Amino acid sequence: MSGQDDAVPVAAGVKAGPGRVLVAVYAVFAIAATSRAGVQLATRFEEAPVAYLLSAVAAAVYILLTVALGRGYRKLALVACGIELAGVLIVGTLSLVDQAAFPKATVWSGFGSGYLFIPLLLPIIGFIWLSRGRRA
Amino acid sequence: MTGGFAGWIIGGGLLLALFCVISAVRDRPMGVGLLAGLVVLEVALIVQAVLAFGQLGKVGERATFIGYLVGTLVIPLAALWWGRAERTRWGPGVIAVGAFTVAVMTGRLLQIWNGTG
Repeated sequence: MSGQDDAVPVAAGVKAGPGRVLVAVYAVFAIAATSRAGVQLATRFEEAPVAYLLSAVAAAVYILLTVALGRGYRKLALVACGIELAGVLIVGTLSLVDQAAFPKATVWSGFGSGYLFIPLLLPIIGFIWLSRGRRA
Repeated sequence: MTGGFAGWIIGGGLLLALFCVISAVRDRPMGVGLLAGLVVLEVALIVQAVLAFGQLGKVGERATFIGYLVGTLVIPLAALWWGRAERTRWGPGVIAVGAFTVAVMTGRLLQIWNGTG
């Protein structure tokens, strides 16, 4: 994330200003989700394999978005935001409807209620930011 | 690691985040005040990490605990580097995210330390 691709206006448009705060929040979630999933998979995978694998998927999506937004890859960021929103909605709904399938919490359980619902808001804010950047 | 010291860090982190938000609302880039606040926070976090590592035997969930501990040390530095590069109101915005995260993570550390996590 050094200045090497600052010459590309599209890249600067996505990652500058408010985009930088968005990248910071995604970076925090990438670290948090990755470490949580890592510990879960390494120490007690057999307790809830599906939930813990989903944790790992969520972590991968957050890493992808941190990189995509930080480097200004707009299309990749849009696709990843879509996956993230779908994941939050599907896992959030399933975790409430079928609690037996999700005995252990993931980042996306209960629509991200364990994380101040930030996981639900992030992709929406991401979409708004990416579509605004296009016009600017 | 003690509740009192961690409490100061949590309070300080939240206060710093608040000052950052005020800077952002007033449309100011990051100034010397926020820089000093961030440095003080980082020094306090280093002290906490040294103290906690000295008594690591007491902790149940050791892997998670060490992860959080290292995270609290790295985040202010990353926020500083990333926030200083942005010379607009959004620079303090990034620092606010970092400071808030440190406060939350210190709270989690305290929970794990006390075995209530």
